Amino acid sequence: MDHLGDEINPHADGAHLGDDAELYALGALDPVSARRVEQHIEGCPTCAARVNDALLTAAALAEALPAIAPSADLGRRLSRSAAIRRTTSTASRSAGRTSTRTSQRSASSTFTPWLTERVVRYAIAAALVLALLNAGWQSFRLHREIATEDVALSTLVHSHFNHVSMTPLLGGSPAAKILYARDGKWIYIIADRPGGTLRAFGYGAGAAIDLGTMSSDGKTATLMLRPRSRIHRIILERGDVAVAVATLAY
Amino acid sequence: MDALVDDFIQRRPQGLERVYSEWSVLFVSVARQVTGEASLAEDCVHDALLRVWRASNRFSGDRPLLRAYLAASVRNEALAAIRSDSRRGAREERAARLAPAPVEEAPVVDPVESERLRVALERLPGEQRQALVLAYYGNKTHVEVAERLNVPLGTIKSRIAMALRKVRAELADAEGQR
Repeated sequence: MDHLGDEINPHADGAHLGDDAELYALGALDPVSARRVEQHIEGCPTCAARVNDALLTAAALAEALPAIAPSADLGRRLSRSAAIRRTTSTASRSAGRTSTRTSQRSASSTFTPWLTERVVRYAIAAALVLALLNAGWQSFRLHREIATEDVALSTLVHSHFNHVSMTPLLGGSPAAKILYARDGKWIYIIADRPGGTLRAFGYGAGAAIDLGTMSSDGKTATLMLRPRSRIHRIILERGDVAVAVATLAY
Repeated sequence: MDALVDDFIQRRPQGLERVYSEWSVLFVSVARQVTGEASLAEDCVHDALLRVWRASNRFSGDRPLLRAYLAASVRNEALAAIRSDSRRGAREERAARLAPAPVEEAPVVDPVESERLRVALERLPGEQRQALVLAYYGNKTHVEVAERLNVPLGTIKSRIAMALRKVRAELADAEGQR
């Protein structure tokens, strides 16, 4: 482009930015010229200060714009994206939502579904324990009967796992519970009356992971996992809407 | 250091959440004015904030500058989107209907600042005001402004830059009189 010559970009030869400082702050430069400004101010405090002043004034111009509030979805989408450890660069704008979802799927590959027969047996037994708890059984009676039925289950009850009810976020949220190993090695999510496809997202040490879609027979949805790192919070989503959340305390 | 700025440049999630909580209306308004489309505008806000936050340890400044820097980043994201879009003409028409809004007709991002800005713009020489308004509210590059007004590039650059400097001075004077 002919307007990129030194005459128009005096800073190209080492001089200060001149008017380009203000044009840059307004977004009125072409990408190549804008990049030159950015490179220049990295080593020129004088021009950096001038650009900063211009940025503040440009922001003042925005105060007169019609105020438009964000949708409810934007904040949630941003938080989730910020928490996701992405292996690829920021998604293309035109595929923003899709790309976020794709990266979450990639992240989920760091988790290994726990599908051994023994674990399934434990999980089913644990779910039974919860059902019994919900029915109002006294803990001493529960422990005694379980001990007579299944030594492995007794071990689970006494020392190996915790459980937590998920907090519903909507009126139609499913009743959901999470069983999880106290050492963090496995997690079992069960939701009653899911009302559609549920997807679980786990939040650990600064990273969010797509835990996957819960298996459902229409009445109950379940998901079993063995995370490689501690999950401290789990959110269930139905159709991209968060419906339940729970915090796991180890 | 300001806790919000510190959280943001340390790339703590709460830093991004606080920035969004306090300034999301500004960011969305800026992006929407450029794109004229709600969905694309929010995509631009999302992408710009995330990109800056992930590289935020490069930022050095106070809270007003962070706000201004982020607003500029959102605007640049939106400008890049429309400038690479073949449907730009239609978008610009929609965007033009959004900006700037007279104070008495629609809620603005900041009514007080908006009134001070209106006064500052009115005090500009007509040629400078026209160039600045086309560049910022019309979302045009200085080359496009020069073509639109049939004025040499160097002249347009000077008019735009001078206009912005005068607005800054006017706003500073108004601030000092408060």
